[in-house]
Amino acid sequence: MTWNPRSKAAIAGVGTSQFARDTGLTTTEMIAKALRAALDDCGLAIGDIDGLYINAGGDFDKMAEQLGMQVGYAMQFWTHGRMCAPTLQQAALSVAAGLATHIACVYSIDISERGGGFGGGRSHGHEEYREGGGTHGEMAHYGLTHPGSGAAMAWQKYRHRYGATEEQLGAVATTTRQHASLNPLALMQHTYTLEDYLASRFVIEPLRLLDCAVVNDGAVCVIVTTAERARDHRKKPVYIAGMDGLHAGRDEFVFAPPGLGIWQQPESGVAARSTHVYERAGVTRSDIDGFYCLDSFSPLVIFALEEFGFCKPGEAAPWVAEGNTRLGGKLPVNTNGGHLSEGMLGGWAHQVEIVRQLRGECGRRQIADARVLQFAMGQGVSNIYSNEKL
Amino acid sequence: MSQERPLPVITEQNRGYWAAAARQELVMPHCTQCDRVFFPIAPVCPFCFAADPDWKKVSGRGRVSSFVIFQQAFFAFFKNRLPYAVVQVELDEGPRINANLFDMKPEEVRIGLPVEVTFEKVNDEITLPQFRPLVSGN
Repeated sequence: MTWNPRSKAAIAGVGTSQFARDTGLTTTEMIAKALRAALDDCGLAIGDIDGLYINAGGDFDKMAEQLGMQVGYAMQFWTHGRMCAPTLQQAALSVAAGLATHIACVYSIDISERGGGFGGGRSHGHEEYREGGGTHGEMAHYGLTHPGSGAAMAWQKYRHRYGATEEQLGAVATTTRQHASLNPLALMQHTYTLEDYLASRFVIEPLRLLDCAVVNDGAVCVIVTTAERARDHRKKPVYIAGMDGLHAGRDEFVFAPPGLGIWQQPESGVAARSTHVYERAGVTRSDIDGFYCLDSFSPLVIFALEEFGFCKPGEAAPWVAEGNTRLGGKLPVNTNGGHLSEGMLGGWAHQVEIVRQLRGECGRRQIADARVLQFAMGQGVSNIYSNEKL
Repeated sequence: MSQERPLPVITEQNRGYWAAAARQELVMPHCTQCDRVFFPIAPVCPFCFAADPDWKKVSGRGRVSSFVIFQQAFFAFFKNRLPYAVVQVELDEGPRINANLFDMKPEEVRIGLPVEVTFEKVNDEITLPQFRPLVSGN
């Protein structure tokens, strides 16, 4: 029988730096703040950390040196949000296998230093010059120069196929901002009406400004240990109950569900198919008390709800517009405010929110009796977390 | 922001594509084993993994399968082109490629629009395949 990593590892502590348009700090300085906060959260000292998994630029060895760490197991993952859940999965597997006892998983984004954000400025769009085109579909010579272009291309196709409306997309933008207004960490605290949304200017049509994530600096640290050790720490453990990895190949496009026909995806096979994560966690979708997904652009919420089978293809847009993803709705989504308004932290601030929700620390935005929460994004990757061993 | 136009980087792998475009021909990588054309340019056929694909001229006709309209320039070069459309074209031969759509107002672009390739010469080395609405009977 296959070994199942279900609930073998847990998150013992989480911490963040300040999130701001420009913190004026380097990546390592921000990570130091997040690491300090995470250590305090679980009651550990820096000397207890023997693993360092980095989902950020810079060099793992220089970072360990500067942070006063001495670790026996270091890893570094490409600085993209889609590596968030896989980083945590590798940490969970590593502690379960005894390769390390307490792994600090760290993420940082320093967009202000890059100048002008994605798709231009000093970085001059490194994404666009990759072999085979940018990872979000960028092709600079055609002026296809922003990660949002891939999401815009996918939403255009989606609304053509299913007749989804701009008001339905606006429901993602307004709902997420409503959640952010209840989160003191969130960069955007404004709430917006549907009228505000419709009056917001187009950036890459059909996406409006309010369909796009905030752009910011910040860092997050998540400390992963074994389920047994986690029980001895300051806070109640949050178990990593189930996981599914990144899918890749011609069927996949980062910002479109399989079967939509974006880039080289086939235009068929649209049925929801990411079920491994539920089987591995030993739960069904009806057990999920809240759903967290990468939402750098608002269509991604609609796509994730369909990819993971909460809605049939074409049905998530009206479902969101009916209010089902609000706090108090059938399936609250991104109660932290997500990338759209809390801050763009590569999915890592979503993990912090999940942990705090499962501990009951979320105050006015607390999901009542949250027991099982799911993080997911396009390309099939997902983690399921619980506050009891599943 | 740099005023320069961002241009593709020519590599050994993509040289044939850009050389053809300079001759005003649209070519696709073509598998000499299974005879299929594909995109993006790759060292092996994505359908049968055979190595050493060659190039095959395609009709240059297809349909808009999705599109976006840029209302904001992320590179200074594109500022005076605003608003501009970037289309995803599904070629009659199957592969999808992205390009700009010429000879049509961005607000008139629709999914399903029949299009044909046209060429925009940038310099001696680079000519960009672009698209325009298919003129009926062409």
